[in-house]
Amino acid sequence: MHVSPVREPLITGAKSYKDITNDVMAPVKAKPGKLWYIGITVSALLMVFGFIMIGYTVWFGIGTWGADRTIGWGWDITNFVWWVGIGHAGTFISAILLLFRQKWRTSINRAAEAMTIIAVMCAGLFPLIHMGRLPLGFYILPYPNSRDLWVNFNSPLLWDVFAITTYLLVSILFWYMGLIPDLGTIRDRMKTAWKKKTYNLLSFGWKGSARHWHRHESMSLILAGLAAPLVLSVHTIVSFDFATSVIPGWHTTIFPPYFVSGAVFSGFAMVLTLMIVTRKALNLEDYITVGHVESMNKIIIATGSIVGIAYITELFMAWYSGVEYERYAFMNRMMGPYAWAYWIMMTCNVISPQLLWIKKLRRSLTFTFILSIFINIGMWFERFVIVVTSLHRDYLPSSWSMYAPTWVEVAIFLGTLGLFFTLFFLFIRVFPVIALSEVKAVARSSAESFIEKPVKVKPSEEPHI
Amino acid sequence: MKENIQIRDAVPFNFGKNLKKALAIAAAIGLIALLWGIFISQAPASRIWANMWMNALMFLFLGLGALFFWAVNALGESTWQINIQRILEAMALTIPFSLILFVVTFPGLGHIFEWTHTEHLDRILQEKTPYLNIPFWILRMVIYFALWSFFAIYLRRVSVRNDFEPREDYLRRIRNTSGWFIVIFAITSSTSAWDWLMSIDAHWFSTLYGWYIFSSLFVSALAVIIIITVALRHYNILPNVTSEHLHDLGKYLFGFSIFWTYLWFSQYMLIWYSNIPEETFYYVERVRHFKTLFYLNVGLNFLVPLLALMTRNSKRQPLFLAGVSIVVLMGHYLDLYLAIMPGAVGHEAAAIGVLEIGLPFFYIAAFLAVFFVFFGKAKPVPENHPYFIESSSYENI
Amino acid sequence: MKSIVYGYFTDENDLLEAVKKLQDDGIRIEDVRTPFPVHGLDAILKLPRSGLPKVAFIAGLAGGVLALWFQIWVFTSAWPLVIGGKPYLSLPAFIPVTFEVTVLFAAFAMVIVFLVRSNLGPGSVPDILDEEVTDDHFQIILSEKHNKLSDTELVNALASTGALGVQNINTGK
Repeated sequence: MHVSPVREPLITGAKSYKDITNDVMAPVKAKPGKLWYIGITVSALLMVFGFIMIGYTVWFGIGTWGADRTIGWGWDITNFVWWVGIGHAGTFISAILLLFRQKWRTSINRAAEAMTIIAVMCAGLFPLIHMGRLPLGFYILPYPNSRDLWVNFNSPLLWDVFAITTYLLVSILFWYMGLIPDLGTIRDRMKTAWKKKTYNLLSFGWKGSARHWHRHESMSLILAGLAAPLVLSVHTIVSFDFATSVIPGWHTTIFPPYFVSGAVFSGFAMVLTLMIVTRKALNLEDYITVGHVESMNKIIIATGSIVGIAYITELFMAWYSGVEYERYAFMNRMMGPYAWAYWIMMTCNVISPQLLWIKKLRRSLTFTFILSIFINIGMWFERFVIVVTSLHRDYLPSSWSMYAPTWVEVAIFLGTLGLFFTLFFLFIRVFPVIALSEVKAVARSSAESFIEKPVKVKPSEEPHI
Repeated sequence: MKENIQIRDAVPFNFGKNLKKALAIAAAIGLIALLWGIFISQAPASRIWANMWMNALMFLFLGLGALFFWAVNALGESTWQINIQRILEAMALTIPFSLILFVVTFPGLGHIFEWTHTEHLDRILQEKTPYLNIPFWILRMVIYFALWSFFAIYLRRVSVRNDFEPREDYLRRIRNTSGWFIVIFAITSSTSAWDWLMSIDAHWFSTLYGWYIFSSLFVSALAVIIIITVALRHYNILPNVTSEHLHDLGKYLFGFSIFWTYLWFSQYMLIWYSNIPEETFYYVERVRHFKTLFYLNVGLNFLVPLLALMTRNSKRQPLFLAGVSIVVLMGHYLDLYLAIMPGAVGHEAAAIGVLEIGLPFFYIAAFLAVFFVFFGKAKPVPENHPYFIESSSYENI
Repeated sequence: MKSIVYGYFTDENDLLEAVKKLQDDGIRIEDVRTPFPVHGLDAILKLPRSGLPKVAFIAGLAGGVLALWFQIWVFTSAWPLVIGGKPYLSLPAFIPVTFEVTVLFAAFAMVIVFLVRSNLGPGSVPDILDEEVTDDHFQIILSEKHNKLSDTELVNALASTGALGVQNINTGK
């Protein structure tokens, strides 16, 4: 297939297939450096602290949190939606960009999918623990029981159970099926017996047979075709948690696509945060290029603008509807006791991504990194504003109250951050961060300079295992 | 890498006598239908004006959807569509002409929009008068058309000029202009939907409405792009358009039909679920008095593309794909019908008769006439486009 | 004693030409192993179209029907409840779960069939002849079992296509 010479190369430097294998495998083979140890220790400590606080909550009850009448949901559901949203970028990159034949996805999809799975795990914690009696958590599943009782299929909270579970499982399938060939590559490069055996087990005995590749490609395409509507449906169903209600600020028909755009928006921001650091730390700058960062920034500006337009639409419609409760809800967001959260949200989500229209900023790694953090902060505040400000003042003024989180809730949130980074640190050590076979498949047509023979490796640099 | 690219030369296009005759006949059918509706069916004025309004909107939607498709692909640096680029351009150039069709319907605005009757507005409509008043409404319409026409004409000019003097900054210019257009379109597609469709049921509101109408607009345009592409290919005017391009267009039709369904379902289910009377009356009217059409709408726009376009081969057969596109286009006409008629005409006077079936022929003929004039004014494919070769030699997954 | 003959290439275009040449000469190719899916290889090898899409469709349909039927049964027959003033058969509410279960069944069925058909799974021991296949070698494997030619003739045929490292091993099978 012809690739126009005008296109920016996806792989910089002179690379052969062997170079690609060695570059990507280096972090898996090499011993981790000091920074990795520090990183995973800090994360693990946060994670353990968070889990202890979850135990504390389960033992002493939801009273240890700040939720009360009438604000039944606070940091818990804000965090849940935030994490699920972040997870969406991985599937978007793997599935939707595959369907759109975007070759640049090949160097970021593996890490992004891993991020998705970890983020969905973090997200799933919150619905489980916010119900209070965690040991009875299995009640949410439709299993035959002696009470002839079934779950409430009419409730969006149950639709969530199915959506999140399906999303987690299908994401794992998609990620793992893509990993199998690369695990085969690692197995064949390992020299130690136990490592070889472990990776053989993990790679399911992959041998690169053409017949298997044919089925694998067909399966990947169908999985992408399934995952694409799945990712749209998951955050849609999450939005249904709010939109099926009757309170102003929650009940509005634009929520489904607006939530999905917001999810892709925050997810890509998190992918950028991770990738900008990872590419430097693991010497993968030739594969995750400035061009890749720019492409991701374009998606950020598109989805960020969609989110911005949704905000403006909601504001206009609140006035246009003539419904005084709807009008008050938005006036309260802008000028009430939580106005500070609203304006942080507006600045981070609407104003800052618009700077990406400037090409220089789109291609600046420093700016992108800082912006990605702001976007994630902004998106957290968006969920906070939606959840808390709508609940704290709805139809009946005598029910109005205020919410503030307790240190237990803050600790649990930090714990999920710890869980996220711990698992990600482990991921980059055990699995190849870049989809080896996929990058090789585009190397000849899209590399800056594809060479047959690998770059000569000095004897001292030869990796030993 | 060994490349074996064969770029075939196009047969030049000529807007010939036979084609003009066919379009004239179609236009005549449309006018006869209109006269039939007025004099023989004795349709009430609201039904006649509402039909003209519906057709004017569909005419505009086709051009607008094509312009959007062009701009969004340019921004995404996509290349496969370059071979059908001139189809998109010619469709986009119909936008300024659709204004005429809107203006022609102005005498009937009072029949379509209840908020125009300023003498007896209830409290709810009074609250909306800062936005829903004729002067501001017309001003907005002028602004929409001015902006959209500007982009269609400017992008076309840059594209055609590149045929004769290829420039280094061509891609950058197209991208930048497309960027501006996308932002403006994102806002104006919603506000125009509110102005021209949502305000027909002026007591009702839905934040999703603008995007829902956009999805219908886009799928309709895709259907017409497919039909025109298949037709032109049949006459060898676009020899480098292969099954690969049709496959991609089919994917778009499939995917965005599902997207339309997703938005349709979201809006419906959320209003159904919360059961708030000031919102539900919109759907109660349609489900109670337009029941068959209401469900047929989902059937034609969801089930048909979902089942017919699922397999790989279905999207690669020109005639089958064109056939499905025709069905989907009719389905979106129905969608527009259901958006307009219940509010503008009411269930007692609304019907599907000679007027509804025949009048679109006039507008389609007018659309195609303008389209072919502009298609014939430039080369059928932009051969100097940097992505032209990539577009002519790619393979689908 | 049947032999296996194999060799490799470092350029996928050379591989494609070699495969074509061998097939034109009437030699049956046992397997071709590559580090990534090579575009055009499936067509030259005339591999039958994978049935996985059909598996996904049927499984998805089954999942969707099952989920829809189950929800309808629970709310109209098993324990009808009035939720939110809606009728027992509240179809719009049943759609989300139906969709999710459809996707779940389709994905799992397809993955399981893929692994079973390809004989891949935890504990699978592959017959790796060239460890560099997963790195940058594009390998062709010919078997005396399925060809009328002797093993030396196969070696010559493979070597004449430009394959590197042509080897001949007796498998005893």
